[in-house]
Amino acid sequence: MLYVKDLYKSYEAGKNKYQVLKGVDFHVQHGEFVAVMGPSGSGKTTLLNCISCYIPFDKGAITIGETNLAGQSEDMLAHFRNTKIGFVFQDFMLLDGLTIRENILIPRIIQDEVTPDAEELANKLASLFGISQIMDKYPAEISGGEKQRAAVARSLINHPLIILADEPTGNLDSKSSRAVIEAFGEAKSRMNATICMVTHDSFAASFCDRVILLKDGTVYKQLENGGNQSQFQDDLLSAIKKMNMEI
Amino acid sequence: MNQTVTLNKVEQKLRHANRKHARLYLFCNFTALMIISAYSGLMFSPTIQTAFPSGGDSRKQMNVIFILTLIGCVIFTIYAASLFFRHKSKQLGILMALGASRKRLAPTLFREILLLSSLSSISGIIAGFPFIWIIWNLFRLLLIDSTDMQLDFDFKCLPVSLLFFTLVLTFTCFTAWRYLHKTNIMEVIREEHINEPVRELGKWCGPAGCLLLAAGVLMGYWGPSLYCDLANVMLPPAWMNLLYAPAFAGLYMIMLHAVVHGFRTYKKQPYKNILSRSMMKFQGKQTVNNMIVVALLIAGSCFGIFYIPVTAVGSMMKYAAQPYDYFYCYRADQSIPDESTVRMLAQKHGLRIKDWERFEYITLGYGGITSVMEEDGIHFHEEYDRILSESKTLSEDTWRALSGMDTTVRSGTYLCITNQEQTSYSVSPYAEHITNMVSREQIATKYAGIAVSDFSSLTNTPGCRILNQKDYDRLIEGLTDDWKGFIVRFNIDGKDSYAFADELYRLLVGSTDDTCMVTHYYDRVNKTITNEKGDDWWGDQPSEAPFMRVNPKQINSISFRMGWMYHPDFRILNQNDFLLSTSVLLMMFLFIFIVCLMTALVICYTRCQTIALNNRYIFDDLRKLGASPDFLAKEVRSQCRSVFRTPSLVGMTIIYLIFILLLYGNDWQLVLTELIALCICLGILGIIGVCIYLIYRLTVKNIIKKLKIR
Repeated sequence: MLYVKDLYKSYEAGKNKYQVLKGVDFHVQHGEFVAVMGPSGSGKTTLLNCISCYIPFDKGAITIGETNLAGQSEDMLAHFRNTKIGFVFQDFMLLDGLTIRENILIPRIIQDEVTPDAEELANKLASLFGISQIMDKYPAEISGGEKQRAAVARSLINHPLIILADEPTGNLDSKSSRAVIEAFGEAKSRMNATICMVTHDSFAASFCDRVILLKDGTVYKQLENGGNQSQFQDDLLSAIKKMNMEI
Repeated sequence: MNQTVTLNKVEQKLRHANRKHARLYLFCNFTALMIISAYSGLMFSPTIQTAFPSGGDSRKQMNVIFILTLIGCVIFTIYAASLFFRHKSKQLGILMALGASRKRLAPTLFREILLLSSLSSISGIIAGFPFIWIIWNLFRLLLIDSTDMQLDFDFKCLPVSLLFFTLVLTFTCFTAWRYLHKTNIMEVIREEHINEPVRELGKWCGPAGCLLLAAGVLMGYWGPSLYCDLANVMLPPAWMNLLYAPAFAGLYMIMLHAVVHGFRTYKKQPYKNILSRSMMKFQGKQTVNNMIVVALLIAGSCFGIFYIPVTAVGSMMKYAAQPYDYFYCYRADQSIPDESTVRMLAQKHGLRIKDWERFEYITLGYGGITSVMEEDGIHFHEEYDRILSESKTLSEDTWRALSGMDTTVRSGTYLCITNQEQTSYSVSPYAEHITNMVSREQIATKYAGIAVSDFSSLTNTPGCRILNQKDYDRLIEGLTDDWKGFIVRFNIDGKDSYAFADELYRLLVGSTDDTCMVTHYYDRVNKTITNEKGDDWWGDQPSEAPFMRVNPKQINSISFRMGWMYHPDFRILNQNDFLLSTSVLLMMFLFIFIVCLMTALVICYTRCQTIALNNRYIFDDLRKLGASPDFLAKEVRSQCRSVFRTPSLVGMTIIYLIFILLLYGNDWQLVLTELIALCICLGILGIIGVCIYLIYRLTVKNIIKKLKIR
């Protein structure tokens, strides 16, 4: 589904050049729920932004489905983002002037394809994530957890190949975080969605099938979830502890 | 929801949600265009064009302040557009992140900004005309009204506003294009929260800025004349204006210092005002730019208002110092009312004339130094001409009778008459020959010093000189009446009457023929000599000719009252009609003051609102950390104070010092009238300071309300 091969990305700040990604390699299978973890500055968000085509990368290859993102035109990338990728951001990124229903439908509105089917799907997703009652409200009128579940619903409206989530629980309390992670779980189990989530939260990551640990711009380690969520969280914490001690 | 929901409709809804930001942009753009339209409308109006002599200092000052206002409005508009896009960027970025292509977003985005910019600009341009009309007529209603003040518009002013409008459109379209073409979508999304810290310089930048500012002003002021003297050229090259550049660099450094370090030392209390200082620092780039514009606009407004006391004080004191109530000169070939006619006229007004005296004068040709342009058209050299310019001439005996002074003039010398302050431009020490312009009898002469008179008729161009009686008697031989003249002076026994003075003035004007309807610049001697050489006199050139003559039908106009060579010195008339005869000049400068000050205050108000609202999340956090309303209000005050106080103080100080420099530089001294005018200007600065303070208080109150601090 998602293949990242030998990915390099650097930033320039004044005269200094910072190499953030130094040859990242990994892949995500169809229907898999994967988390990317790592300390601050390890390149998690940069990696996600490259996969999302929000920022150009220097070297390497990113393939989603059958499409290699390198060298594509701006228009093609925009169309690809709209139809093949779903996004969930840490700060929700809902449009304040639109209702939750309109926000969920925005990817369809961009395509000018707001069909009754799409509206039906929006209602289904709202029902699935427990936000049916707030569909006609505006973002300013609802809680952070509800906003993020609306964002998850928005990410699924186009039946994307993959959902990319950047710290989706970062701005939420534990109850809301759990609701959002459960929403991802529902998307995976009911809609067979493929999800790649960047997170700092080991509890959220423990719901994933696999966790990729990034360190200093490279993949440090990958851990598989054996089925026991609590055990997996413990494994994650010890792996992170070990990684942090290896300076 | 149905199929008719389109991106256009969604964007329409989003525009409605963002109307607050659009309103700010509309307001800023509208205000800038209205100011430009009003200023250019007034500047190009025939009323002002007639009142302000072409090439004169007043017109230059008006133009310079216009350019200053234009620069201010350009920066202000660019700032408003940037602000609008910063707010808009999040919405744009989200749509881009969700897959809306540039092609998809561009039409609605460009439609929106073109609509907003055009709507605000065109309505601003149109509103400029009623705005100026209302202000102008309020002036007429409440302050002064004269026939000169009939305000006419000439639509030649429109290209300025339209050019500005084009600039607004170009800039907004370019900014929109830039946002759409950003490769980093996350940058677009987060644009609103990106800080604009200024590049910090050390604490030396404040003092260094003051030095640069002073150096720039001094070099810009004296540099060109110094260059002309050293290089023997008439006009300095245009690049000499760059000498002012250090002043702008200095101004930038002062504002930078105010934003980054502040002018107070925090050594003892390093944490005092640390929050407001840090908030200011991280919004620094735009704040510094805004503060420079505000300082320049406040300087411009002060320059406009200072014109009034500087002009009025000198004139009023001069009129008050006149030793006689009535004093006038006329040519001997004119049929001017005689003593009995004037006495009868006075009687008609219930007045009695006393101390009537009439004196003779003659007009002679005097030698002098003239600048001759060389073939390259740049350099010049000086040559002495035996006959160069005309001057009234009194005999030694006449001067003694006229002045009551026991002045002696040696044969072969002459004295120049000057005013009490000795600032008369007609004093020339270079004449070595004096010529009777009819017989061409010529005598050698030498400058022997000055004599002082309080009558501008004797000290204004072409001036008046005193000769030894024998030399005078020799030179008057053969002179025809058109080269001779009389000076009349008298007092009124008791209280004078304006009606008498006005009627006598109109009688004098009506009795003078067209050959005497000339301005102070008209020089019969120079014209005669030039024509005799077969050359065209410079004053006859089409561009100059209108400035050589006055129109007696416009007896109340500024050009007549200030320009006529034979304008009489009637104390009561001058005192009463001063405002009337200078009304257009005064009103224009009063308008400049209002417009510049208004623009500066609008910019300060908008900037303070922006800083506070951009930092509202910090205020929320502080509130959560337990900050009291008083503490938060203090932080708001501290930020607003920097935006209002520093540019106001800098602008006012700069212009006050420049005015001292200008007044001193005119004649290398500060005379009593100038000192009094400077004191009045200081008082005006105090009043402006109070106005700025009141707007500052209003801004603070408004922000405190918006941030829900109280």
